[in-house]
Amino acid sequence: MDKYDIVIGLEVHVQLNTNSKIFCGCSTNFDSPPNTNICPVCCGYPGVLPVFNKRALELAVRICLALGARVNKKIYFERKNYFYPDLPKNYQISQYKMPLGEKGSLELSSGKKIGITRVHLEEDAGKLIHKENASLVDFNRTGTPLLEIVSEPDITSPEEAFDYLTYLKLTLQYIGASSCDMEKGFLRCDANISLKNKGATELGTKVELKNMNSFRGVRDALTYEAKRQRDALEKGEKISLETRAFDAAKMKTVLMRSKEEAHDYRYFPEPDLLDFSISQDILEQEAPYIKELPLARRKRIQKQYGISEKETDILISDIFLADFFEEACTMFAKPKEITNWLLGVFLEQVNLLSEKFNAVKMSPQNFSKVVRYFCENKLNNLAAKKVISLCIVTDEDIDAVIERESLAQVSAEAALSGFVQETINENKKAIKEYLEGKEQAIMFLVGMVMKKSKGKANPKVVREMLEKAIKLLKSNEAANS
Amino acid sequence: MVDKKTVEYVAGLARIEVSEEQKQFLESQLSNILSYIDKLKKLDVEGVEPLRGLHLERNVLRNDEVKPSTAKEEILENAPSRQERYFKIPKVLE
Amino acid sequence: MDELLSLSAVEISKRIADGSLNKEKVYSFFKERIKKSNPSLNAFVQIYDAPPAASGISSLSGAPIAIKDNICIRGKKITCASKILSSHASVYDATVVEHLKQAGLQIIGTANMDEFAFGSSTENSCYGPSRNPWDTTRVPGGSSGGSAAAVAARLVPLALGSDTGGSIRQPASLCGVVGMKPTYGRVSRYGLVAFGSSLDQIGPITTNFTDCAHLLNIICGPDSNDSTAAASGTPDFTEYLRDDIKGLTIGIPAEYYGEGLNSEVASAVKKVIEYFKEKGAKVADISLPHTEYAIATYYIIGSCEASSNLQRFDGVRYGLRAACSSLSELYMRSRQEGFGDEAKRRIFLGTYSLSSGYYDAYYLRALRARQLIKQDFDKAFNAVDVILTPTSPTVAFKIGERNMDPLSMYLSDIYTISSNLAGVPAVSFPCGSSSAGLPIGAQLIAKEFDEATLIRLGFCFQCGTDYHKRIPKIV
Repeated sequence: MDKYDIVIGLEVHVQLNTNSKIFCGCSTNFDSPPNTNICPVCCGYPGVLPVFNKRALELAVRICLALGARVNKKIYFERKNYFYPDLPKNYQISQYKMPLGEKGSLELSSGKKIGITRVHLEEDAGKLIHKENASLVDFNRTGTPLLEIVSEPDITSPEEAFDYLTYLKLTLQYIGASSCDMEKGFLRCDANISLKNKGATELGTKVELKNMNSFRGVRDALTYEAKRQRDALEKGEKISLETRAFDAAKMKTVLMRSKEEAHDYRYFPEPDLLDFSISQDILEQEAPYIKELPLARRKRIQKQYGISEKETDILISDIFLADFFEEACTMFAKPKEITNWLLGVFLEQVNLLSEKFNAVKMSPQNFSKVVRYFCENKLNNLAAKKVISLCIVTDEDIDAVIERESLAQVSAEAALSGFVQETINENKKAIKEYLEGKEQAIMFLVGMVMKKSKGKANPKVVREMLEKAIKLLKSNEAANS
Repeated sequence: MVDKKTVEYVAGLARIEVSEEQKQFLESQLSNILSYIDKLKKLDVEGVEPLRGLHLERNVLRNDEVKPSTAKEEILENAPSRQERYFKIPKVLE
Repeated sequence: MDELLSLSAVEISKRIADGSLNKEKVYSFFKERIKKSNPSLNAFVQIYDAPPAASGISSLSGAPIAIKDNICIRGKKITCASKILSSHASVYDATVVEHLKQAGLQIIGTANMDEFAFGSSTENSCYGPSRNPWDTTRVPGGSSGGSAAAVAARLVPLALGSDTGGSIRQPASLCGVVGMKPTYGRVSRYGLVAFGSSLDQIGPITTNFTDCAHLLNIICGPDSNDSTAAASGTPDFTEYLRDDIKGLTIGIPAEYYGEGLNSEVASAVKKVIEYFKEKGAKVADISLPHTEYAIATYYIIGSCEASSNLQRFDGVRYGLRAACSSLSELYMRSRQEGFGDEAKRRIFLGTYSLSSGYYDAYYLRALRARQLIKQDFDKAFNAVDVILTPTSPTVAFKIGERNMDPLSMYLSDIYTISSNLAGVPAVSFPCGSSSAGLPIGAQLIAKEFDEATLIRLGFCFQCGTDYHKRIPKIV
C-alpha cells in the first residue's frame, strides 16, 4: 500500500537512581527550591574538580547487562564543549570514544529485537525558565547522572517506537536503575526519522526530532513527521538534514536548526578524571539484579496464571504491581479473582493517591485475605471495597478492621429472615411487578433488605430467600383464591 | 595558514568578540605560532600510544553520599544578576 | 626585627614557638615591608590586614606565606590577575589552603601572576607587571613572578606558586630562590584555577631547601576532592635534609646545553656539576632526544585544556558581565572585555587545535609526542637518579623585551616544559650570578614521586654555597 519504509532511531537519556550527583555530593532531590542543591563543583566554580560517583557506574553497568550490551573493560570521560547557560562549565563531561557499553538489544512484545548502538554516562545540565524579558537558570539538576542509550535505526513505525520506550522504561524500572518518570524529566527522548523506498537498502535523509514530553508525544511527533516526509517526497521535494521540534499543542513539528548550524563539540579526554576499569567484581555484583526482565515475566505470568494478555500487560506495567500480584497469589491461589480485585478496586484506590504505588502500605498478604473472604462469602462486594480503601495506606489487621467496622457479611437465614419478611410486607407493588414478569423488581427488593442489614447481608442469600418467600406467597394466594 | 575566516570561526566557537584590527593581529600571531608548532609534523609518531594523562590506572570513585551544599547562598550572591533564587540572563531564544 | 630577613621560615616558626618572637609582630613586620616595597615590585595583588584564621601547629606555624592569586581562599578575592574575575570572592578553600591553615601558617596576601598563569614574565597581569627585585627594569619571570619576587626580596619567607610549564621554576631562577614543581598528583589541584589540567601542579617557593622540604610536607597528600591526586602516602621530606649525596648518579642531557644557552648560565651550571662531583656523586652523559618537540607539544596540550577550562568564565554565574542585550552578547562581550591578549591567544590556539578537522593533526599528535617525551625520561631514569640542567636559557630579561613576540616568550620555557609533560618533579635553585649581578638558576629533575632526591641534592648544594643567602637591595 505504502511505497516507503519508515526508519527510526531513538536516543534516550535516563537519570540514574543515585542520592548524590555524578561528580559532587549535592543531592539529586527533584523538588527542592531552586538553586539549593548546588555547590562550587556543580556550578563550575574556578578551581573545582569532579570525583565520580561509584553508584552511578554500578547502575550504568547494570543497565548495560540488562540490555545485553558489551561492557568495555576500561572507560574514560571526555569533554563535550559548547556554550549554553544551563551548562556551568560550558562543557559537559560525557563519553565519546570509549563509552561504557556497546552493541546491546531490547526485545519488544512482538518478539522483534531493536539493536542498541551504545550506552554512555554523562552529567545532566540545569534548567532554564523563560520569562517575558529574561531567562532564569536553576542549577539543581546540573550534574545529575545520566545514561544515554542510543538505538540502532531498527524501528519501523511510530507504534514500535512507543513499544520500545515502554519496554526500555519497564526494563530500567525492573532492575532498579532509574524511575524513568518522563513527567519529571527522568527520561528524555530524541528521535531520528527518515523514509526510504520500500525494500531499498539506501537510507533517506534523516531528520532529528526534539521536544517530545511523553511516549505518546514521541509517537505523535513521529507519525506527523513520517507523513510530512512522505508528502514532501510525493511532491518530488528533497528532505533536508535538520533538527525539528515537536509542538504538542499543534501536533506538528517545526524547524529548529538546519545542518549548517551543526555543532563543533571539540571532544577531548577529560584530564580531571582518570580511567575507570570495569572489573569482574562489578559485573558479578550487578548481575543478580538482572533476574527476570519485563518481557520474560509477561510470558511467564500469562502462562502460569492463565490470565488474559491485556490483564498481563497491566500487571507487568509496574514492577510493584507484578510483584504484588505474584505475592498475593502465593497466599490465595485464585489468580483470576486476585487479578479482578487488583486491577479493579485496588488500582482505583491507588489512583486516588498522589504518590501512587509509593504510598501503598497494604501487604499482598492482607490484600489476598480480603479477596479470599469475598470468595468465601465472609465479605460482600461493598464491604471488601471498603476494607481495601481503609487499609491501603495503613495495612491494619484485616480481621480487626472488619470487626471494628462490623463489615462481616451476614449469610445466616435466621439473622436475615426478619428483614426479608419486613421487606415483603412493605413492598407489595414491587412484588406484584415481579410476579407480572418484571425481573429487575427483585433487585429492588434485595436492595431494600441490604439497606435494612446496613449492607452486611449476603445479597445472594437474600435473593434466594426473597425468591423463596415470594414463591410461597404466590402459592398461598393461589390456594386462597 | 590561519585566515580571517578561520579566526572568525574560532572566535564564534570560543565566544569572544574580536574587532577587525584584532582579527588581523590574531591571524598573523596564530599563523606564526602554528608554523612553529608544525615542527611536530616531522616527528614520526606512527604506532605511538597517545598519552592522555598521567597515572591513569587508578579507579578513583566516591561513595554515593549526599553532602550538604554549604556555599549555596554565597554562590547566589556572586551572581552578576539574579531574580529571587535564580541566575538571571538575557532572554534565551530557542 | 631586620634579623628576620636572614632567618629561614623554619627558624622564624621555632622562635615563635619558644616565645622569643611574637606571631602578630612577625606578621606586621612583613606586612609593613610589603606595603613599603610593593609599589616598586608590584609582587602582591592583595595584602591582608590580618591573616585568615589558622589554628594548627607545625614546623612552619606562624610563618607568613604568600599565595599565588590562582589558588582559592574562602572569602577572599581570587582574580588570577584577570579582569574577568577582578571582583570575584572565592566561596571555598583550596585543599592546599586547608593544609596551610591546619599547619598554622599566616597567609599574608595574594601574589601577582600572568593572567591565568599564561606567560613567563608576569607582564600579562591586569594589575601590571611585577618587577625583579635584583633589577626593577627586568621581569621576575612568570607566571608565578609575584611569588618569586616577594620571596627573593624577603617580603615574605614563603610562597606558593603553580607550575604548568615552568611557572614556579623559571621565576625562581630569575629571582634567585628555590622553586619546586612536585610530581603531577603529589599536591592536590583542588582550588587551583585550572590552566592545563594534566600539567598543573602547585609547589613551594622558598629561599632555601630546608623551608622547601617543610612546606612540601604540609601541602602534599591524597585528596578526596581531586581524582588525580596520588593516593600514596608522602615521605617526611625533612629526613632528606642531610649533606650526603654519595652514590647518586646525575645525568647531563646534551639537549639542554646547546644552542641558545647563555654562556654565563652555562658556566654557572657547570660549576654545580663540579660541586656535586666533589661531594661524591657520579655524573653521566644522557640524551632526551625529543626535547626539541616539547614546546610545540606543550603549547598544543596546554592551550587545548586551557581553552576548555576557561569556558566557564562567561558572565552567567560569577565574574565580569559586560553590558549586553542578548545571550550572545553576554558571552562575546564579557569574554572580550574580561580576557587579556595572551589569554585570548591561548584560547584561540586551543579552540582551533580541537576544532573539527584539526584534532588529529594537532591534539592527538601532541599526545603521541608527549608519550615519546615521557619515554625519554623513563629511559634516562633507568640509568641515572637525577638530571641536572639550567632552568632558563638566560637571566632575567627586560620588561617589554619579549612580550610583543609571543613565540620568543614561549621559548623561554624550553628547559622546564618537559618535566610537566612527563609529570616528573623538578626544582630550580640559585647557583650563581651574572656579571650584571642577576641570579642564575640550576634545575634538578627526578623520577616520579622522588622529590626526596631533589631535596637531598639541593640541601647538599646550599651547605657549601651561599647563593641562597644573597638578598637584593630594595627600595
